[in-house]
Amino acid sequence: MMLLRLLSWPYLRRHLLRWILTLAGIVLGVAVFVAMHTANRSIFHAFDTTVDQIAGSTQLQVSAGEFGFDESILERVQAVPEVGVAVPVIEATVETKILGQGSVLILGIDMTGDRSLRDYELKDADDAIIDDPLVFLAQPDSLMVTKEFAERNKLEVNSKIPLLTINGEKEFTVRGVMSSAGMAQAFGGNLAVMDIYAAQQELGRGRRFDRIDIRSKDDVTLEQCQAAIKAALGPTFEVEAPSARGRHFEGLLRSYSAAMSISSLFALIVGMFIIYNSFAIAVTHRRAEIGILRALGATRSQIQRLFFLESISAGLVGSAIGAGVGILMASAITSYMSTVLEQTTGFAQRVNEIVFDPTLIVAGIAIGIVTSVFAAWIPARSASRIDPVQALQKGKYQVLSAGENRRRRWMALIVCLVSIGCLFLSYSKPFFYAGYVLMIAAGLLLAPALTLVLSKTLRPILKRLLPAEGTLAADSLVQAPRRTSATVSALMLSLAMVVGFGGFAHSFYTAVDEWMDNALNPDFFVSASANLVARTITFPAEMSPVIQNVPGVDQVQLVRNARVLFRNVPVMVIAVETEKLARTVHRTPVAGTTAEMNRLTAAGQGLVISDTFAEIHRMRMGNMVELPSPSGVLRLPIVGIVRDFSDMQGSVFIDRSVYTKWWKDDTANVARVYVKNGEDVGTVRQRVIDALAGHHRLLVLTNREVREWITKLLDQWFALTYDQIAVAILVAVLGIVNTLTVSITDRRRELGVMQAVGGLRNQIRRTIWIEALSIGVIGLVLGTGLGAINLYYSLGMVKRDLGGLDLAYIFPVAFVFAMVPTILAAAFVAAIGPAESVIRGSLVEALEYE
Amino acid sequence: MSKCCAIAFAVLWIFRQQDPRQIVEEAQRRTTSQSQRYEGTLQVVDAKNKITEKRWQYERLGSYGSSKSVLRFTAPAEVKGVALLVINHTDRASDQWMWTPAINRERRIALQDRSTRFFGTDFSFEDLEERDTDQFEYKLIGQEPVDGSACWKVQSTPRQSKASQYTHSYVWIQRDKFAIAQIENYSKDQLVRRARYTDIRNDQGIWTAHKIDMHDLKRNSHTILTIEKLQYNLPMKDDAFSLQALRRES
Repeated sequence: MMLLRLLSWPYLRRHLLRWILTLAGIVLGVAVFVAMHTANRSIFHAFDTTVDQIAGSTQLQVSAGEFGFDESILERVQAVPEVGVAVPVIEATVETKILGQGSVLILGIDMTGDRSLRDYELKDADDAIIDDPLVFLAQPDSLMVTKEFAERNKLEVNSKIPLLTINGEKEFTVRGVMSSAGMAQAFGGNLAVMDIYAAQQELGRGRRFDRIDIRSKDDVTLEQCQAAIKAALGPTFEVEAPSARGRHFEGLLRSYSAAMSISSLFALIVGMFIIYNSFAIAVTHRRAEIGILRALGATRSQIQRLFFLESISAGLVGSAIGAGVGILMASAITSYMSTVLEQTTGFAQRVNEIVFDPTLIVAGIAIGIVTSVFAAWIPARSASRIDPVQALQKGKYQVLSAGENRRRRWMALIVCLVSIGCLFLSYSKPFFYAGYVLMIAAGLLLAPALTLVLSKTLRPILKRLLPAEGTLAADSLVQAPRRTSATVSALMLSLAMVVGFGGFAHSFYTAVDEWMDNALNPDFFVSASANLVARTITFPAEMSPVIQNVPGVDQVQLVRNARVLFRNVPVMVIAVETEKLARTVHRTPVAGTTAEMNRLTAAGQGLVISDTFAEIHRMRMGNMVELPSPSGVLRLPIVGIVRDFSDMQGSVFIDRSVYTKWWKDDTANVARVYVKNGEDVGTVRQRVIDALAGHHRLLVLTNREVREWITKLLDQWFALTYDQIAVAILVAVLGIVNTLTVSITDRRRELGVMQAVGGLRNQIRRTIWIEALSIGVIGLVLGTGLGAINLYYSLGMVKRDLGGLDLAYIFPVAFVFAMVPTILAAAFVAAIGPAESVIRGSLVEALEYE
Repeated sequence: MSKCCAIAFAVLWIFRQQDPRQIVEEAQRRTTSQSQRYEGTLQVVDAKNKITEKRWQYERLGSYGSSKSVLRFTAPAEVKGVALLVINHTDRASDQWMWTPAINRERRIALQDRSTRFFGTDFSFEDLEERDTDQFEYKLIGQEPVDGSACWKVQSTPRQSKASQYTHSYVWIQRDKFAIAQIENYSKDQLVRRARYTDIRNDQGIWTAHKIDMHDLKRNSHTILTIEKLQYNLPMKDDAFSLQALRRES
């Protein structure tokens, strides 16, 4: 501790800016970790809370995926002797036309029995009105809203609320206000209760329910009740506690959560490099001091402890600040992520509460400290091994010995060979990831040697461009490869990650574009919702002839999709009119033949799966897929595998006739409409809008609108990735600033002498700029190389563990070219401060240095 | 001999009358009719003395265990046309459906929901069922006057086949008219509802209460059903008591 006070503290005060930059690495890493996980937990918490609050005293829920089931199932459940209360529920998010309120969660319930399960905690003043369920039931426009929602929108009993239902924009009457407790807090208070039979009509459910909420009889255990209902309904119905919905939701977003964990891990790794860089530089910078200490009798372990204590202190301070910043960032990220999730999965969330988990914050701080200590381990060990004599020879330490270089190269070669060996065994997950880690390790081991080679390669070029400044800058890099390579390694790793992310995004966009060209080729789409992933509102099949009879319409294809549980994971089932679809969509299957695939699917003798579904569930051609339906388990063999991006968890395509037969439902989510050749799409679209005006409220979206909507979704999805890229670049820039600061400090006397013998300020300035730009160039070259490898593994990882997407390897050339000016500009910006500090510093002090 | 016979008959008659099942069956026999129609007014008085009023028209075909009835709300305007169809069975609980004309839909009132309040009144759906004597066990508790009238106090306990929210009830039956004067319904040992039958008049030879005051002791609110334009034994068609008829007439 004494050494820490006598040596470290004065050093920190002298180099405050550098330590701030070092801390920034930890702050960023921990902040991203805390913010991402807090946001993730807040979203899951919001979902679970909404489920719990809506569930009331519900013990079990009967459901059959998102398709729901015929209302006759209710009587079968109510007839089970172990069931105490069984009430039907319809749940949907509906857009309200009240400005700024977005969507409202509509809970359709049967008021006659539902109050046995849920406490509506009505405001006293309105008790008599809503407490008369007869009026509520007799008037289908009745709504009960939460006190919070009512106050926010200045609503009272008998106020009107406009909602967008399947029957168009319709005014509903507030007939009761629930107090802000229990259920009323669900969905951030944007909750409204409607009579279930009115909800069936307004939300296009026909005679179907979404689920049945159950409470067992007092003298029956939950397990007995569950078993009895399962026995009565058969295996195709899910009979689970309400909390199971949370588990399914988590399963659905597993890949998303994993991507977020990887993002925060990535931020920490980059932060680790910054710390390594800073400590390596500190050791270099203080080697004379260390040499003197060693000469005065300080032991190696004392020196090592000193640096460890410094790293722990830096880690603690940086992590604590990072945790605070993370908490501040969490709110913004949560809001953004919940919007992205709603847009991509159809699960609307209102996250009103950010869940701060003390364990997570402690974990973030601990990770920051461990990362800091781990990153400082090599520099601390190096410091303890400093030879007092060598330490006093300036510049000697920055040179890598030939022996060290050779050892590193051999190690890199061995690691590289092992990594290539792992490639052949990459069907096994441990070998795949071991290969990935080893390949990155090989790149890092080779970084100093490659930095030296590239620095030497740059020297003649720089010399030709600017003889004095170029040569000096290149020599600085060549003479201090240890100093340079730490920054280059950090930059290389950052860029490798950036190229990996950018390449993945590029491959994904390309694949989605191809899919849209092939599969989304109707002239326009008729949908019950502007948000095509919202599946809670449907329309009846009778709409098909209405559209088909519009002059100019060539073909109408009805589509019904919803999630059902397959192996306990929600998967998307898409019911299509196969024969019609085969005439307009010509997709080359990944497995199987187009003709056979279409013939068997249309005949109800098979189904088609997406490649992601095949990857996630390890399914192959001919495998039997078992889908639970209200009529029993639908077993069909896989007759084709196609590339499809309809859902992140993969899709299963069945024929519409199979769907209507097994699910006893003829509604649709979307109608794909093709216009006759020669007809003007705009004119026909308008005719369709006119034809639908007298029927249900349906939106007619052009092909372009749908494509733009999907692209916007992708942009939203990848926006976080781009944020990560920005963080990576920022961290890399911090590294360059750090390196240059040390470089200048190291060369302060040298630069002072240059100025003293007539070197112009601009020459000094340019020397430092060129050094920074050279680091940028070397980092770019190595980063691009490692990025190419990283992209390969990233795509493998995505295919294997993050959604099963099998994307083609497309190196993002344009993206890398765009990174060149970005990195060079960042390097240049990083050099401005250090350069100015040199030319504006005292020449006398510089000459006195050391 | 004749004196002895007369005494013996008198004793037998008294014993026969002391059989609680006989008392209840006699009460039911005396109120049995082929059909019934009335117009009712419901006044719900809540704990804060706030009064809401509804009107309905009631029709019944048959009596007790085998009867069918339809109750149609006529006022206020918000509930006009809403109907409740009750089909009673001798061997099990009744079937009940509610018809909502605004959405053109019927909804079945599940057995589990019979204990819930009948649309904001202090009656429960179960209270609207007609009691079949075979579904209950009876025990004569004694004699106790209600509103000055001498009554038998009979305890009725539902048999296992009868699903009921009440563990037992006490029924007061007027000794002279065999008309029900009061019912107290218990859940376990707690009195939950009390119905007082007053303004008992003779309509076409049937003693009928024209005012029923149902008191929910938990909520401390009560509902008064006032019966007007009561008629018995009117000709009615069986098919008028069906879901199809409700749909047709909406």
